[in-house]
Amino acid sequence: MAERLIGRNYTPPDLVAKVTGRARYAEDFRADGMLFTKLLLSPMPHARVRRIDASAALAMPGVKAVLTADDLPDLGGGERALTNEPVYAGEPILAVAAVDELTAAEAIERIEVDLEPLPFVTDPLDSLRPGGPNARLEGNAWGAPLPGGQGPGAPAPLVTLKWTPQDFAEADMGRLPMGKPLEEWAYGDLDGGFAGAALVLDETFVVQSTCHHPMETRSAMAYWQNGKLFIHASTQSVAQTRGNIARWVGMSPSDVMLICEYTGGGFGSKGGGAVSSVIPAFLSRKANAPVMMRITREEESYIGRARTNMTGRARIGFAKDGRITALDLYIVQDCGAYGPLGDHRSAGLAASLIYQPPAMRWRAVNVITNTPPRSQQRSPGPMQANGIIEPVITKAARQLGVDQVQIRRMNSPEGKAAFGPAAGPGGQRAHVTSAFIKQALDRGAAQFDWEARKARAGQRQGSKIRGVGVAVGPHGAGSIGFDSIMTIRPDGRLYVQSGVGNLGTHSVIDLARVAADVLDMPWDKVEVIWGDTGKHLPWTCMSVGSQTTHAMTRANHAGAMDTRRKLQEIAARDLGGSPDDYDIGGERVYRRGAPGRGLSYAQAARRAIELGGKYDGHAVPEDINPMTKESAASLVGLGLMGIAKDNYPRDGVTYSFVVGFAEVEVDIETGKTTLIDYLGVGDVGTVINPRSLLAQIKGGSCLGIAHALFQKAVVDPRYGVTLGDRFHYSKPLSILDVPASMKADALDIADPETPVGARGVGEPPVGAGYGAVLNAIADAVGEDVFRRAPVTADIVLTSLENGRRMHDPLRAHV
Amino acid sequence: MAVIRDPMPAFELFQPTSVEDAQALLRRYGAGAWVLAGGLDSFDWLKDRIKRPEAVVDLSGIPELRGVRARGDGLEIGAMTTLTEVVRHGVVRERYALLLDAAEAAASPQIRNQGTLGGNVSQDTRCWYYRAGWPCYRAGGNICYADTPESINREHAILGADRCVAVNPSDTAPALIALDAQMVIRAANGGERVVAAEDYFVGPGKDITRMTVLQPGDLLTAIRLPGAWAGARFYFEKVRDRQVWDFALVSVASAMVVGAGGAIERMRLAVNGVAARPLRLQAVEDLVRGRPANEATAAVAANLAIAGAQPLRFNAYKVPLMRNLVKRAIRGVEATTWAS
Amino acid sequence: MSYSRRNFIKGVIAGGAVATSAGYLFRGSGPLFGQTSAPGSVERLVTLNVNGQTRRVDVLKQETLAMTLRYKLGLTGTKLGCDRAECGACTVLVDDVPRYSCSVLTHTVRGGRIVTIEGLARANGALHPVQQAVVDEQGFQCAFCLPGFVMAAVGFLKTNATPTREQLAHGISGNLCRCQDYDKILTSLMRGAEYLRRSTT
Repeated sequence: MAERLIGRNYTPPDLVAKVTGRARYAEDFRADGMLFTKLLLSPMPHARVRRIDASAALAMPGVKAVLTADDLPDLGGGERALTNEPVYAGEPILAVAAVDELTAAEAIERIEVDLEPLPFVTDPLDSLRPGGPNARLEGNAWGAPLPGGQGPGAPAPLVTLKWTPQDFAEADMGRLPMGKPLEEWAYGDLDGGFAGAALVLDETFVVQSTCHHPMETRSAMAYWQNGKLFIHASTQSVAQTRGNIARWVGMSPSDVMLICEYTGGGFGSKGGGAVSSVIPAFLSRKANAPVMMRITREEESYIGRARTNMTGRARIGFAKDGRITALDLYIVQDCGAYGPLGDHRSAGLAASLIYQPPAMRWRAVNVITNTPPRSQQRSPGPMQANGIIEPVITKAARQLGVDQVQIRRMNSPEGKAAFGPAAGPGGQRAHVTSAFIKQALDRGAAQFDWEARKARAGQRQGSKIRGVGVAVGPHGAGSIGFDSIMTIRPDGRLYVQSGVGNLGTHSVIDLARVAADVLDMPWDKVEVIWGDTGKHLPWTCMSVGSQTTHAMTRANHAGAMDTRRKLQEIAARDLGGSPDDYDIGGERVYRRGAPGRGLSYAQAARRAIELGGKYDGHAVPEDINPMTKESAASLVGLGLMGIAKDNYPRDGVTYSFVVGFAEVEVDIETGKTTLIDYLGVGDVGTVINPRSLLAQIKGGSCLGIAHALFQKAVVDPRYGVTLGDRFHYSKPLSILDVPASMKADALDIADPETPVGARGVGEPPVGAGYGAVLNAIADAVGEDVFRRAPVTADIVLTSLENGRRMHDPLRAHV
Repeated sequence: MAVIRDPMPAFELFQPTSVEDAQALLRRYGAGAWVLAGGLDSFDWLKDRIKRPEAVVDLSGIPELRGVRARGDGLEIGAMTTLTEVVRHGVVRERYALLLDAAEAAASPQIRNQGTLGGNVSQDTRCWYYRAGWPCYRAGGNICYADTPESINREHAILGADRCVAVNPSDTAPALIALDAQMVIRAANGGERVVAAEDYFVGPGKDITRMTVLQPGDLLTAIRLPGAWAGARFYFEKVRDRQVWDFALVSVASAMVVGAGGAIERMRLAVNGVAARPLRLQAVEDLVRGRPANEATAAVAANLAIAGAQPLRFNAYKVPLMRNLVKRAIRGVEATTWAS
Repeated sequence: MSYSRRNFIKGVIAGGAVATSAGYLFRGSGPLFGQTSAPGSVERLVTLNVNGQTRRVDVLKQETLAMTLRYKLGLTGTKLGCDRAECGACTVLVDDVPRYSCSVLTHTVRGGRIVTIEGLARANGALHPVQQAVVDEQGFQCAFCLPGFVMAAVGFLKTNATPTREQLAHGISGNLCRCQDYDKILTSLMRGAEYLRRSTT
């Protein structure tokens, strides 16, 4: 028997290429005669292009083509790569292709663009004020989603929403106005919950927006060959980006050859690729040459996507023992100039899940502003919910004299806990597949030495005060229903096709280990094929929202089980008996009780080719995605093909959880917070790849920690221009901002609703890190010192100095 | 908000091997010339296509501008000596640890490996409106974008503002002032003049387009550290958001000599991040002379330090922050003894 | 385009927070482009020592080392993460010293020994000890920042072969990772320091 691979560390096959510099990301590709493109960005937050005169630019030697929005297909009103109505400062208006970047840049400086300025707004609350500006001509907020769900298929309508002066009466006091919402749900007896509460708190919190800023910007290179588009782009999902590019270009997906073996991070900003990536594709067609588009870091600050900022108000009732009796949550979400995004909905559901209020109301408005476009960023929604609600829980625990771990433990979900409104077809509430948060809290509290640290929290030495914090970060952690293709070939090896983006999580490779385990295949006989739609990939989930490990371990389990069944069938056919008489092991399929009677995998592969039909991919299941069918057709006859859709049942919605524990030291003479120690404990199902999993917990936590401490995006409200277009302005976390050692652990308890037991992990640590550090700061200096993040030195120092909270209470993008 | 940035516009590049040759080039190209030291500040301006010099004069090939050498009872540091070279120098470590601490707080290791001491003290402000190319006072216009009711000015000045509210970003500047360093300047006409560090920097009241006294054609050639403050009791602290690659919100640097009886015999103290130039706090120095280096002295002195501070909308914290850092420079910081 | 920016900003000031409906024109203001030639300037064709090899390259005056490496010498292992000396992805060694190659003019390192990530492994393919440690500890995730981190670490270890975790963290603090498990990065590079010491004793 080969050793079981799941749960063991290993060396992913792409690492040597990575450490030697041979791994090629999108900007590392070259082609003969390659041109370069530069973009002309809108200097205004909202304007209409009246006229473009590129004649002087086109007359320059070396300038090959100019591309404008007029050259691009209409996408039903959705965001395009170039625009004639820029809705944020920095939005690309046109692109020039030239022999080199310098020429392209100088050409852009010779282009005349006549822009008519239009009204703009950068702060969502300003847009909701009576008479406030609308970010778009069509309105200022996204209405409730149309039936059929969210996403590009069913865009919600843009509406105009203005609140009354009365709604804003308390805004100056730092309380979020709660005018007419556009979306809401409720369950339980809210009034009763509050009436019966021993303590009711009502607090407003501003969660900041931040640009995703993956290390690799969304550079892309493209060329055309024999009517096919070859495009090197950076994406979190090779399988699902091809269709998007085809749609953005207006062509058939089968004519798009997307190559992306390595992705330099995405964090949600490259989920289905980047709409800007079609610029070199169009320019290449126009100029009849390959075109490289290097996206600069500054451009990434504008077009690279950002987290939705939220201003939230949470009114929470607590019983004397700390149990939550009611939660009334109002969220104003800022979608930027495009959207709609559903972070605010995920935030509401997450709040309902991890705090388990017996009664809850969720209301929200989804505002658009003339600020850079948003997309889901690592824990989109639940992380913001942690920010809005955690300070309230912390304050309540302090007032009620309840331990911070205990108040979260008693309110946390267990098992198949219900959450959200009664929106099911039969009026039932949704429930999770499993939750073991109490175990994670217990294990974490022990490992973190919570009691000892708690004992010194609040004590002062010199100007330093320590504080401890804990928070539970939740997030949806897995989708279902995707496909798998694998082949055992006459060389006796297992080839697993992987449509997952290789963005560093290693799930692109990990999923093949599930198949290897099912087939008892030694790892050195397994080849993973990924990173190029020309390599015949199956329909695969996007690597966003902690989906992949769950979705693709299921799919590959199904594919491996199909392979196994076919091995058994071939053996029975050739050697007699029924398929169930056969077992597998040692790279053979053999008769149970008579190991000598069997076929090697290599022999079975040859027989599969001879037999044809379903055995070598000539016949495939009906229920698989057309993309999978197309890929299978190209792999026909190579060996024994396992091909299946994940049809495993699932009772519940899959969520994962990470519990974060933080100790901080706040210097009350400078306001500066230093993170002293951190532990993250995952309730994330079966561990597939331990080292990678712990990296996800620590790395995700660090993103949350940075949000608590200093990471931000700043927009000047008067001119509508992003100011934080440099790293030293936007402040992503450095290695010196965290302790030299950080800790992570996982429960490794299998989820009962998925065959491998694994759930996703990427998102939940973000809210855990964010909440734990916010709570630790509050523990050190008092929970009323701040009601916005990041909690920078200025906020702490000014509040302590004045004995009350001094920061701008509601303003976004500061 | 730029419509287009990157790459650097074309320029002619010169790599002279003597100060004389460099200055001849500066004379030849006049306003079209750009002096390149480590380049970390320069490349921002060039890549942003805001500054478009005709000729760039790279000083890295001039041997006399590099190195640390003994001079009298002190040291002379060539302006083109990198911050890493400064930090690693034995005498700096031993006798001028204040400069070591300040230089080590600058930017990041790679930048310290390339950035020079001369460049660090001569760099331009990082006001994000000005650096984005907005036509403000400092850029020759007639408005300050950072000083309106809506401006985002958390990093800006609380003292010495005059139309412009930008601050000086240098980490080594306050340390050099505290050490009473002398700046050696070769004028365009070849003459040499020596300027005290505190006078090297200028505020907007004096010249709103410049950060230092350097006139076109001038070169800073060396920085001299006198022996008078070698081995004194030093204090340096830089408060910043990130612990690497971040500019000071406020920084403080001081050198203090304490007598046998515990009284402060003499002290030099400077702060940065609060004004367009690093400020020597002479009134504080005078006040503390003869007093014990304790909390009471620190409290009185620190309140004096912030007299006249005028915060903007988002930077009121700089007043207590500067006050507290001045306090710490005088009375020190209590060590903590947490278990971990 | 500076005129445009000025016009825009002035327009906003004149019109208040909500922009006026009056249009205005953007007009390029760039100077003549192209290479000027002046007496006494540097030659464009230069000789570089990269990864132990001598390479003759045609280099523009304003060209950065990162661009020369990536676009003239095919050494794309050196990454551009920000092009502004802020992220460290472009770190290479020049005479053993880690430098941000995005912010070094190629002409200024003509006499230097330049080593990139491609130059670390031996000719026989054997990985450099720090590379091997990164493989063994699976130090990085997306790995776009990896070459810069490894070069920064290799350079730092030349000045301090026996660092503590804290010291090594300072040594590589000029490099950003956005996957952000700095703990594992540090563990792998500490292992690299250990391998390096073993390989040289």
